[in-house]
Amino acid sequence: MASSLLASSSKRALVRRGPSFAKSLLASRPATTQSSDALYVPGGPVYKGTVNDPTSFPEPSRAHGSHHWSFERLLSASLIPLTGAAFATSPSVHPVLDGILGVSLIVHSHIGFDSMLVDYLHPRKFPVLGRIATWTLRTATVGVLVGVYNFNTNDIGLTELISKVWHA
Amino acid sequence: MSFLPRLARPLCSSAARPFSSSAARALATPVAQKPVLNKEFKIYRWNPDEPAKKPTLQSYTIDLNQTGPMILDALIKIKNEVDPTLTFRRSCREGICGSCAMNIDGQNTLACLCRIDRTPKDTKIYPLPHMYVVKDLVPDLTLFYKQYKSIKPYLQNPNPPEDGKEFLQSPEDRKKLDGMYECILCACCSTSCPSYWWNQDEYLGPATLMQAYRWIADSRDTHTAERKEVLQNEMSLYRCHTIFNCSRTCPKGLNPAQAIAKIKMELAAD
Repeated sequence: MASSLLASSSKRALVRRGPSFAKSLLASRPATTQSSDALYVPGGPVYKGTVNDPTSFPEPSRAHGSHHWSFERLLSASLIPLTGAAFATSPSVHPVLDGILGVSLIVHSHIGFDSMLVDYLHPRKFPVLGRIATWTLRTATVGVLVGVYNFNTNDIGLTELISKVWHA
Repeated sequence: MSFLPRLARPLCSSAARPFSSSAARALATPVAQKPVLNKEFKIYRWNPDEPAKKPTLQSYTIDLNQTGPMILDALIKIKNEVDPTLTFRRSCREGICGSCAMNIDGQNTLACLCRIDRTPKDTKIYPLPHMYVVKDLVPDLTLFYKQYKSIKPYLQNPNPPEDGKEFLQSPEDRKKLDGMYECILCACCSTSCPSYWWNQDEYLGPATLMQAYRWIADSRDTHTAERKEVLQNEMSLYRCHTIFNCSRTCPKGLNPAQAIAKIKMELAAD
């Protein structure tokens, strides 16, 4: 409704500026029989087809559907025991679990942030900003993966850092 | 039942009391009138005939002791006695048609099932949130109905039963539909869902998804696989983030969140 209001007020602004200017701009608009000059569009701008047409579904894709969901849930659930196990085995020479924890945490947070972008900055509504945000997130995730890999191989690693900070 | 002999009796003889009489009117001395209990209702107003005028909250004060117990009674009283231009949908006034769904004191509910809060605090009434408004308290539900249509809310079974009469179902299978078939599509749940607010062009919303599951769960329907397949995408189903606004607000006490969770489980098990 806000957009229809906006549309109507900007149209009025055009009319106030000068009748000939407004006429040339609005010439393509079909004549309506409505008493008001604001065209009311049922369903608003997101509405396709007639009122009797059902809405359509996107292409089915399990990777975006159930597999994505199952993977996300399993990952979230397994993070809890994984965190404990990584801390228990972290002082060893080959901290494999530490590495797995690092990767899982990053993938988990990537999925979480990506979900936010799909909710609030989906490319269908924000063709420029949405894509910028998506690629920023992907770049950041890759950057963090490289960083955590370096930290885990050349330095003390995630779990030992946290236990050091904890005991500091 | 023994109403047949009672019908045979004359319905309104001259000796019988007329229907309109009440105990008070039958008394010789008048009883004391109920005290005036004024209450302020602030109601969202927007008129499509004056589209440039911003929506406003208009105040109406009515005497609760001269009004029925429900919000819908107050709205009808305001429309009848104070302001005939106030616009809202209503039909059955008993919570089965779903017409009078609106946002009352911040909660989506049916005006006919919502008791008036008898404290002196004012009551604010808005149309269902984040919907296009047709006028005042009337939201545009076109997209909601289009989405409902998209899940094919009817029995799909190309094999008619052998006796040609009806599809049979065990009592256990019938039980699976309890808590879903009662939905009256008032749109209270869908319009309480933030995911539906932001993405209603793609996300189906709790009401439609619960009806989708109502047909997935139906043992008589043979198109279960197709029904599940269309939901296999990022937007239609998986924009549900399980915040339970739908189950909390449902004026019929149903649980759309549970139905959505069951769809997710069934899709994951596929």
